[in-house]
Amino acid sequence: MNLRKTHPRGRSRKRLNVIALGLATLATALGLVGLASILITTLLNGAAALRPSLFTELTPPPGAEGGLANALFGSLLLIFVAVVMGTPIGILAGTYLAEYNTYPKLVATVRFINDILLSAPSVVIGLFVYQVIVWPSGHFSGWAGAIALALILLPVVIRTTDETMQLIPLSLREAALALGAPKWRVITQVIYRAARAGILTGVLLGIARISGETAPLLFTALNNQYWSTDLSRPLANVPVVIFQFALSPYESWHGLAWAGALLLTLLVLVVSILARSLLREKAE
Amino acid sequence: MDQAIPKRRSGALGDALFRVAAFSAALLVLVLLGAIAISTLIGGYPTFAHFGFGFLSKAVWDPVRREFGALVPIYGTLVTALIALVLAVPVAFGIAVFLTEVAPRRLAVPTSAAIELLAGIPSIIYGMWGLFVFAPFMANTLDPWLSDTLGMVPGLAPLFSGPPLGLGMLTAGIILSIMIVPFIAAVMRDVFRLVPPALRESAFALGATRWEVVWHVALPYTRTAVWGAIFLGLGRALGETMAVTFVLGNSHDFNISLLAPSTSIAATIANEFTEADSPAYLSALIALGFILFVITFLVLLLAKLLLLRLAKQGAR
Amino acid sequence: MLVASAQPDQLQNQTQENGESAAVSEKPCIIIRNLDFFYNDRQALRNVTMTLPERKVTGIIGPSGCGKSTLLRVLNRMYDLYPNQRATGQVIMDGENIIGPDVDVSLLRRRIGMVFQKPTPFPMSIYDNVAFGVRLHERLSRAEMDERVEWALTSAALWDEVKDVIRSPATSLSGGQQQRLCIARTIAVHPEVILLDEPTSALDPISTLRIEELIDELKRNFTIAIVTHNLQQAARIADQVAFFFMGELVEIGPSAQIFTAPKERRTQEYITGRFG
Repeated sequence: MNLRKTHPRGRSRKRLNVIALGLATLATALGLVGLASILITTLLNGAAALRPSLFTELTPPPGAEGGLANALFGSLLLIFVAVVMGTPIGILAGTYLAEYNTYPKLVATVRFINDILLSAPSVVIGLFVYQVIVWPSGHFSGWAGAIALALILLPVVIRTTDETMQLIPLSLREAALALGAPKWRVITQVIYRAARAGILTGVLLGIARISGETAPLLFTALNNQYWSTDLSRPLANVPVVIFQFALSPYESWHGLAWAGALLLTLLVLVVSILARSLLREKAE
Repeated sequence: MDQAIPKRRSGALGDALFRVAAFSAALLVLVLLGAIAISTLIGGYPTFAHFGFGFLSKAVWDPVRREFGALVPIYGTLVTALIALVLAVPVAFGIAVFLTEVAPRRLAVPTSAAIELLAGIPSIIYGMWGLFVFAPFMANTLDPWLSDTLGMVPGLAPLFSGPPLGLGMLTAGIILSIMIVPFIAAVMRDVFRLVPPALRESAFALGATRWEVVWHVALPYTRTAVWGAIFLGLGRALGETMAVTFVLGNSHDFNISLLAPSTSIAATIANEFTEADSPAYLSALIALGFILFVITFLVLLLAKLLLLRLAKQGAR
Repeated sequence: MLVASAQPDQLQNQTQENGESAAVSEKPCIIIRNLDFFYNDRQALRNVTMTLPERKVTGIIGPSGCGKSTLLRVLNRMYDLYPNQRATGQVIMDGENIIGPDVDVSLLRRRIGMVFQKPTPFPMSIYDNVAFGVRLHERLSRAEMDERVEWALTSAALWDEVKDVIRSPATSLSGGQQQRLCIARTIAVHPEVILLDEPTSALDPISTLRIEELIDELKRNFTIAIVTHNLQQAARIADQVAFFFMGELVEIGPSAQIFTAPKERRTQEYITGRFG
């Protein structure tokens, strides 16, 4: 038996190996082409519609020129309020999962259900908020939109907080407890400090997730053609404007939709990349 | 505020308060899930009570006469998700194999990051891309070609018949598949990395090629988790709204052709919610939401249980 | 006896060597010359020169991290799987350099099998585990495959225990049975050399004993190299013993000589338990 002379059967096995791994490479190239196509389309169409008036003028009536000022403000306001509402609750819940083991079954169940909520259709969460807030109050409102987004952010923050805190070495907790500090002080002053980067990553991932959410806002914040800072009224926001404008027959609205899409994509990409680099920094 | 109370008791009180707060926050997750189910059930109850089982089996959707049957949206949801899975699973598997077996580390890290970015792009962007870029491509190129080829095959013909509009279940299914590929690929990549190195090396030591190791050892070892990844992708595809709403064509007419306009549960809700002018119409839409919630919950539940099994196996 | 019964093609041309001669001076199966090995820039083997005599057991001993396992991983080119690992020098088998550039690694690994520290049953049935490697290299009829599987399991002293459950998952076996299954899987492809990397370190004493008996049996037909932490084990089953320390081959010689009259001070210190 010669080590260099490959048997015919060996040759066909090697051919299969090369073909299969080649197809795997091709599949990856296909995925990257899809990514590139979507990014490039958004970039080209969005850049063509990008002008300063975008940030100063309101969303126009059909066929007219205008900007996205009210929608951009509304989106930022919604995201801000959602983060302010969702983050503390998410961190607390994540803390319970990671730090308290009195009811291990409960902790396991909450973790499990939280993972399911993480992938639950956002359209249903929008309907839920409509049912419990919009319908009883009788009108669409920014508050309802912010709550819907907070509910989508919540599982992301819970999961990252839980995972980050589990990684913190026991010795750190014991060292703090040994100084006589009560548990809640150990958690808030030592553990949170050590877990800061991880928790912040979770919040950033959550922001990336909610900033493009459209469906739940259709039933909650809806839209507003005018400038409004009132969270108890319908509130303009970028995703719903994109949705309405893109499906319209008007060329000028299409342009604004693309501009909104570009700004949204940039926001999401910047926030995701920030989250990743934070994660890498922590790993080093 | 601490000074007013003796030190020891402040610690105990603080502990108790913090514990209750954290406990309530954790409990909120369970409450939330229950509340979503109950509120949509209550909202949809008038519809379920009025139409009974017919709501699921009838293909009538007439808001004027207040006749509602959800067969078309349910059918559209299932068919688009199925198309998405059929297309996405092999591609996602290929990507996972590339990332774990083919690419050197220097290439695998940025590629992984790019694929994850693809997962992060908001679905409304996919929707716009689908409407303005992909649907015209379908109408001009793929649809006519499919009509001329598969549309001529007896048995398959009805699936690929009709005018090439570019809007329909096939277009929606393909866009959904692009959306769920990164999710499935990322989970598959992670589970392939859980295969013990000694197991892989044992197969190599018998003279197996990389592909043989993946196909005969890594895949069987991670089988349940790979199914979990697939169901996770299915859960996403079923519940996805914006990416499909733009390209389904929003038609409640039942049509077997994959090239004809249709609708899905999520697309119907998104398209018609603001137009729902009667309580009966609104209730029908919320009833659709309840059905969607139940379906996706069951699929995701299965996905998580399957994924959990490998985690336990790995821990042993 | 068990082994000699079923597989004539492998065994005919072998002269049975009874009687343990003190010196290990048989025909060499593998000759290693000036072998160096690197993980990135760290050198794990330094200028190793030794031979594995045909149908003998070579025990490889030494403290952790001394390069014992690395040596085995060079012999079947396992290091190929990882970038940044490289070997230089010569490892000659049948007049060819194993670590040369155009060796068919798949063929090489068929001729040089390996059993790992922990049992590694594949996620499939007992039968399919044994048939796995055979299917890669040969196309056998059902009957031939059945015969081969039975032969391999018999040779690994496992047949009687598993013949009724041959279609059940391999993971249902005990640890010791799984390890014998891995040996059966290795010999099923008819290798010439078997590398064993601490095959009993994860097993209980009774299972260990069975594996040792098995190795004694297998050396009638196979050239064996075994890495072990257990000096008594090396003394019991090895014909020649090689002592490694910090990547260097300190001493190699017949088992009896190494354990009773080592020439090197470091060998003596190691076997008397002064370090390692």
